[in-house]
Amino acid sequence: MKRYGEHRFPGKLFVVEGIDGSGKSTQLMLLHQWLQSEGYGVVFSEWNSSPLVRETTRRGKKKQMLTPATFSLIHATDFADRMEHNILPLLKAGAVVLCDRYIYTAFARDVVRGMDRKWVRELYSFAVKPTAAFYFRVPLEVAMKRILEGRSGVKFYEAGMDLGLNEDPEQSFHIFQGKILEEYENMIAEFDLTTVDATLPIEEQQGQMRQIVKAKLAQAKRLRVAP
Amino acid sequence: MRETYSVALPKMNLGELTGRLIVIEGTDGVGRSTQIKLLRPWLEQQGHAVLDTGIKRSQLAGRGIQQAKEGHTLGRITLSLFYATDFADRLENEIAPALRAGFVVLTDRYIYSLMARAIVRGLDPAWVHNVHSFALKPDATFYLRVGVDDLIPRVVFSSGFDYWESGMDLYPSEDMYESFRKYQTALLAQFDKMAQEYDFTVIDASPDIRTVFERLRAGISRVLKGEPREPLFAQPATEVAVQASDRSEAAGTGKTDQPAAEH
Repeated sequence: MKRYGEHRFPGKLFVVEGIDGSGKSTQLMLLHQWLQSEGYGVVFSEWNSSPLVRETTRRGKKKQMLTPATFSLIHATDFADRMEHNILPLLKAGAVVLCDRYIYTAFARDVVRGMDRKWVRELYSFAVKPTAAFYFRVPLEVAMKRILEGRSGVKFYEAGMDLGLNEDPEQSFHIFQGKILEEYENMIAEFDLTTVDATLPIEEQQGQMRQIVKAKLAQAKRLRVAP
Repeated sequence: MRETYSVALPKMNLGELTGRLIVIEGTDGVGRSTQIKLLRPWLEQQGHAVLDTGIKRSQLAGRGIQQAKEGHTLGRITLSLFYATDFADRLENEIAPALRAGFVVLTDRYIYSLMARAIVRGLDPAWVHNVHSFALKPDATFYLRVGVDDLIPRVVFSSGFDYWESGMDLYPSEDMYESFRKYQTALLAQFDKMAQEYDFTVIDASPDIRTVFERLRAGISRVLKGEPREPLFAQPATEVAVQASDRSEAAGTGKTDQPAAEH
């Protein structure tokens, strides 16, 4: 069992992180399209998407059965399934793998939920270290505005309602995201995250991202599947 | 006061957990559930409220694990974490509330089985220990032990070979018998190692049901009275350290001719 570290597989792994409303998924989608148009073999993997675990997570959330411990472990199970059956074999095969959220999401959320910081990091030590991890840094108020304008309401666990921070979901969401933001800020140095200013125009952020990704792929021309 | 192996879960007030936590451990087919069926009424007759619980019985993950295992597609890290999820759910929603209410909790297997399986499947022991380090330390762990030669007739003549109990995910090229033998031998070696590390009370499970039950009863009585452990049932450290091959012979002495009399 390999520990978190630089992998030596031919593939490359790029991940995006940030609080809800930071715009990271939009940026990853734009990167995905660009890499495909450049002829790379690209595969996308999303947080909390393993079919194996889906039913259990769905039930746990719907019935609000999840505690901080089971919330943490079921997401780790989901991640492990994707790591073992998807991400690792793809990296071995030489693909460019794009992940919307990675272990840093768990580090932030689980610690805010009261799980032991060291325990959570050790829990995910089977994860492969990304080629680059982009952190979309955004002030809390900007992210809140983007989120709350765009939808009818936030979900129970998204708002951190299980923590009893506030009876009002919107207030709870605000406090919860603020705490998560703090955790992210502390991880920039700890995990050498590549910070992107998520208040800049979308095109400018994408430009920065492509430049970095291009440099990382420069040594790996053979990843291209089409000329 | 009650302790965990390392980290405490949020909102788990350890000082409140005043009941008794008694673990029955042992490999597949050793007779754990049979013994728990006998122990429960015995404890209740003495006025103890009893909760019995076991692996895969959580409301949250029990069914999910079952379904996932049917597909035979679980990775070893995924499998280990899925079981840890099930365990955490039972710990928080069954075991801890019962202990808070002063129950005697009898658990059919505990983190030791989960850790043994994960380590036998090649996962890093330090990682495996960390994952399960939020578990409560039990008041006592009774390890029902038989050698692999004694185990085979018990399993074959009761339920037949099961894919996972035979470690077919680990040794896919073998037939079920060979695979079972290898897998259970490796598990026994892990259990014997943990018996020392976690201070198990080792009970020879090769005699008849009644004899094993009497030994368990005596051991549990002592735990409930807060008396020190009966040294008679503790396996000497030297015996635990014996090679796996010798061990199964020693444990199976004179018993191979009358397999699974109790099943």
